[in-house]
Amino acid sequence: METPIKTSGASPYRWLQGILLDWDRTQLLVSFAVLVLIALTPLFIKSPYYMGIVILTTLYIFTGISWNIVAGFSGQLLIAHISFLAFGAYTTIVLYNTYGVTPWIGIFVGGFVAALLGSVVAFITLRYGLKMDYFALFTIALMVALKTLFLKWDFVGGAIGMGLSLSEPGFGKMIFDSKVPYLYIALGLTCIGILIQYRIYHSKMGKYFMAIREDEAAAAALGVNTSLYNTLALVIGAAMAGVGGGFYVMYVTYVEPPQVFDLGLNVEIMMAAPIIGGLGSLAGPVLGGILNKPLAELIRGALSGGRSGSTLIVYGSFLILAILFMPRGVTGVLHGFYLKWRRRITGANQED
Amino acid sequence: MNFEIFMQTIVNGLFTGSIYALVAIGLTLIYGVMIILNFAHGEFLMLGMYISYWAFTLLGLDPYLTIPISALLVFALGALIQRGLVQRVLDSHPLNQIILLLGVSTLMIGLVQFFWTAEPKSIHVAYETAVLTGPWGLRFSIPRTVAFFSAMISSLILYLFLQKTRTGAAIRAVSQNRNGALLMGIDVSFIYKLTFGLGVAVTAVGGSLLTPNYRMIPTVGQPFAVTAFVVVVLGTMGNFIGAFLGGLIIGVVEAFAGFYLGGDVKIIASMLVFILILLFKPSGLFGKKKGI
Repeated sequence: METPIKTSGASPYRWLQGILLDWDRTQLLVSFAVLVLIALTPLFIKSPYYMGIVILTTLYIFTGISWNIVAGFSGQLLIAHISFLAFGAYTTIVLYNTYGVTPWIGIFVGGFVAALLGSVVAFITLRYGLKMDYFALFTIALMVALKTLFLKWDFVGGAIGMGLSLSEPGFGKMIFDSKVPYLYIALGLTCIGILIQYRIYHSKMGKYFMAIREDEAAAAALGVNTSLYNTLALVIGAAMAGVGGGFYVMYVTYVEPPQVFDLGLNVEIMMAAPIIGGLGSLAGPVLGGILNKPLAELIRGALSGGRSGSTLIVYGSFLILAILFMPRGVTGVLHGFYLKWRRRITGANQED
Repeated sequence: MNFEIFMQTIVNGLFTGSIYALVAIGLTLIYGVMIILNFAHGEFLMLGMYISYWAFTLLGLDPYLTIPISALLVFALGALIQRGLVQRVLDSHPLNQIILLLGVSTLMIGLVQFFWTAEPKSIHVAYETAVLTGPWGLRFSIPRTVAFFSAMISSLILYLFLQKTRTGAAIRAVSQNRNGALLMGIDVSFIYKLTFGLGVAVTAVGGSLLTPNYRMIPTVGQPFAVTAFVVVVLGTMGNFIGAFLGGLIIGVVEAFAGFYLGGDVKIIASMLVFILILLFKPSGLFGKKKGI
């Protein structure tokens, strides 16, 4: 959206003004600024423990974006999004362990397999008209059923799960001595994720997603193919979650059914970042993401030295507090300040 | 499968099903009155179990004597959660409601794990392995028989309360038409607190009834909650009788699935039932009758 501004000629700051006067581009700028800051952390952080937190923070931004597209943009009550991450994780590790396929290909195959599961879920739920509460129940029920199946399926390790067959570190195997390369891979994924999210937000498809979120019946009445766009949102979100899962398993080096088919991890890895940051907004997963894992670790440490259960207490409280006091998240709060600031700069009284 | 095993499987199914029925009645009551799916439902069952465990260990009470304690405590907690949290999101987007209740669920699991650790806990009583032998060599485990009849009686009391008392009539009125009830002078926000409290208390009773022979971990409620979701869809969301019968049906279905497929994959059978209902009769067994 172009805004008439009181500038004269070709100021060197003009492009910056062009960005700052548009809320969506400002969000994009903020997102990349955060990523640059994360990219600089290896200069200051030497401890592998803190580096691990930074890596997971970055990954959670990426997985948060994948859920934000489905739940935030198209408004689907997809609760157990983690099933897609699990599919990506299992695909990647099976391809690597059993067939020796490099994870660089494996994680994208994982994304593809997760997208297939996503299209199956979309097909079943749309075919049988499962909406809202029924859809939410279906996704949870599917997660429980998949957990039972994976526990019984010996090819993927059954109840024991699968550990990465560790060998000599190497770039082609995505196994490294130091944690820093993992950080840059996660950052690369997150960069792509942010760009995809921005492109979708500004495309016709994104507008259809949001029309469906606001009122599905009205969108259908206006000629939006709601089945197609619900499916697309789900498949895109699932594919990204699958890729995230592939990276996740390469980083944590093992996967087992109770760990990945779990609503607790789902809250931590998928939901917390977009909800704290502002569900449905562009900067939400990023701003929520940088608060999510570090804050949780901090509080967990303060609560009697990381006793079991404290992570869950922290995340449970996050969700409750966010919904009650900040339903539009950190981005929503910042947007308020931003509008005031822009009004002062432009002297115009307009809303986004 | 001969006749004895067939009958035994049905008995076992009904015994488990009676607990499903209690949990599902709680869920359907809350849904019927507030049109909100309680995603923290399983955690109230878990809490019921841990309260019984706590009363048994600290006060030395028999698990069955702890039922009133767990019902009362969970009732109060439920009313508080309704007043402080759920009430504020009743008019929000369903996603906000689900996220809030998931937050409550995560918080409750976390707190229990924090204070009681994730180690499996169990209660040992003298009668835990006692068995009655009935006709055709049927075997009735004493704790499960007691649980079955207690669940039946609890359901009946709740049903009579809803049907025969003025307060029960008010709950049913709110579930049929909230605005109409408001115009008739019914204190709707009180009814909401009462309903949420009752819904989770009856679930906690289910949990306490399980304690004498069921190992508890902080996430013990989740499979029960998932099954209860299947049950309320089967028995029409918001229908009391539907939830009761649906619970018994799913219990028997799972018992047969457990016999043929092995105990730990029986949840697949519930899922299959779930998908079949959604396919052929998404409105459930009891159609579109409105209200509890």
